[in-house]
Amino acid sequence: MPTPLDSLPDYRKLAREVKARFERIRQRPVILSVRNLEKSFGAEMHTALDHVSLEIHRREFICVIGPSGCGKSTLIRIIAGLDQATSGEVLLDGKAVTGPGPDRGMVFQGYTLFPWRTVKANVMFGLEMRGKDKSTAEIEARQWLDMVGLGKFENSYPHELSGGMKQRVAIARALANEPRILIMDEPFAALDAQTRCQMQNYLLQIWRKVDVTILFITHDLEEAAYLSDRILVMGANPGRVVEFIDNPVPRPRNVAQFVSPEFLALKLRLEELIHPPMEIEEERLPMVKLTNAGDDVE
Amino acid sequence: MAHRDWLGLKMELPRARRLQLTLLSFLLPLLIWSAISYIPWLWHPSIRVTATGDVDYFTEEMELPRADFESEAAKMRAQGLAVPEGYRVNPLYLPAPHQVARAFYTGFTTEPRLPGEPWLHESLGHSIRTIFWGFFISSIFGLPLGILCGTYRFFSRLQEPFIEFFRYLPAPAFGALAVAVLGIDDGPKIAIIFIGTFFQQVLVISNTVRKVDPALIEASQTLGAKGWNLVRRVIIPASITDVYNDMRILLGWAWTYLIVAEVVGTMSGITYSINQQARYRNFDNVYAEIMMIGIIGFSSDLFLAWIGRLIFPWKRTARTASPSGASKPTLAAAAVRA
Ligand SMILES: Nc1ncnc2c1ncn2[C@@H]1O[C@H](COP(=O)(O)OP(=O)(O)O)[C@@H](O)[C@H]1O
Ligand SMILES: [Mg+2]
Repeated sequence: MPTPLDSLPDYRKLAREVKARFERIRQRPVILSVRNLEKSFGAEMHTALDHVSLEIHRREFICVIGPSGCGKSTLIRIIAGLDQATSGEVLLDGKAVTGPGPDRGMVFQGYTLFPWRTVKANVMFGLEMRGKDKSTAEIEARQWLDMVGLGKFENSYPHELSGGMKQRVAIARALANEPRILIMDEPFAALDAQTRCQMQNYLLQIWRKVDVTILFITHDLEEAAYLSDRILVMGANPGRVVEFIDNPVPRPRNVAQFVSPEFLALKLRLEELIHPPMEIEEERLPMVKLTNAGDDVE
Repeated sequence: MAHRDWLGLKMELPRARRLQLTLLSFLLPLLIWSAISYIPWLWHPSIRVTATGDVDYFTEEMELPRADFESEAAKMRAQGLAVPEGYRVNPLYLPAPHQVARAFYTGFTTEPRLPGEPWLHESLGHSIRTIFWGFFISSIFGLPLGILCGTYRFFSRLQEPFIEFFRYLPAPAFGALAVAVLGIDDGPKIAIIFIGTFFQQVLVISNTVRKVDPALIEASQTLGAKGWNLVRRVIIPASITDVYNDMRILLGWAWTYLIVAEVVGTMSGITYSINQQARYRNFDNVYAEIMMIGIIGFSSDLFLAWIGRLIFPWKRTARTASPSGASKPTLAAAAVRA
């Protein structure tokens, strides 16, 4: 039976200007390359990552999606240098990553602002660690706070801010170090839908203004389709790359594109990859009728 | 509303009610004590003699168990002699609240009986000094060691097993040894408080430091923090408020070691004073002085809590509720407008 979905274009067919954009992107230097990364946990050597390889170009916006437990966090923690790979290597600008460093900024899902520091002092932290003197650090921190629209709150403490504001400070704090790549692990997952939408637009604006490459994990398919240049789809057991999709939705993005054919086609493909049809078989609940519930619900 | 319910499960009560209950928690024991002291038929197991009658060993103001008094009175009545008189009182060791309250004042104004004996305020001062030095010396070593053990597994594995063992040795057991080494004056007393505090302190503080959210440490590492900077700028400030609260609790424990410490060597401080008053059978003073220890300990803790709120401004209105997007509507709304 033909459905409206069948009339959607092939997600791999890119419009001419989109194709041209990807050709330009591929001309750019590779900033991050991950080669044959393997990671096993524990004595039973549970394989969290199985031969993952990928290359990311300068100023790309990459989203990573995949079912829960497929190793998304593990992958980016290794890239950030917070975990060690079992084998394989991560190269940033051609140099092997050995540990955490300020060239790879990180924003976590949980709020990791330092509660004892004011908003401004949080943003100054990385600058201080790199030995900038206090007044320079302060001036730069203010600029970053103004950019995320929180200049007025520089003297507030994190506990006085809402979740979305905290994440904006976390973004400013990471960007203040002028990292080569900004790594974000489900940064907006804990926010309500409206704030999340706002934050996505903030992030796109910031990305446009700042010379930074973004690697962004999400489990929200629309978020991935809305933000990304390319989408890395991962599969579980073992964690691996399933497909690296060129996002056909033209830039600049706006909310109206959520119903454009390219967007829907992409989303449909992502759905297929993440939830293979046979897996979403409905679980039948045992029928136990305790009261007369009536039959006016379908 | 939910607030009408005094017994709401796990529900915080409004501030006014909390204050009422705090007051009640002190008033209730006081009420029971007053009832026992002022209602004659409640307990009052003794008789204070007002007229001796013909009982030859009775004297005026003498106190004796009621049964003995009754049997003597019955004897006199049977022999047709003068019957003794008296009224019911509580035993000497349970003074009434007003007597103890008076002792709070007279304790300080009464000259010591023996020449060279300290006044009450001097005794209290002596005790506070002993506590202070014991706790201070313990903290000089315990605080850095605790932070070290909490930060580096190396030090934790190297130190903690022995400390864990040592903390089961009761501090007073070292009394005789402390006297042999440090003499009979303040040295051994401070040493007992040190031993009682130090080992707990290292373990408690290292545990607190170990509980620092690893996500904060990782976040700081991705911002370029490492080595000593990581300890000084992240681990210590992240745990400082909890360490401060630990220190308050540890100081409370140090107070509980005071009395055993002060009987080591020559008895001193408030312990000596309490002992003397008990010997003179001034039980109102004994009660007052015991309560003073509690009042000093409790109020110094309240004071430290207040200081804590001053020096850790980020804890002042910290919420324990789980973070959510719409948790602070006023500020969030302002940000959107901005
Ligand atoms: N520290 C760890 N020890 C053991 N297993 C782990 C650890 N961290 C992650 N794993 C396992 O690795 C797999 C991938 O986890 P993770 O990267 O967190 O997945 P995702 O972020 O995609 O949900 C999971 O099966 C998880 O159980
Ligand atoms: Mg994850």
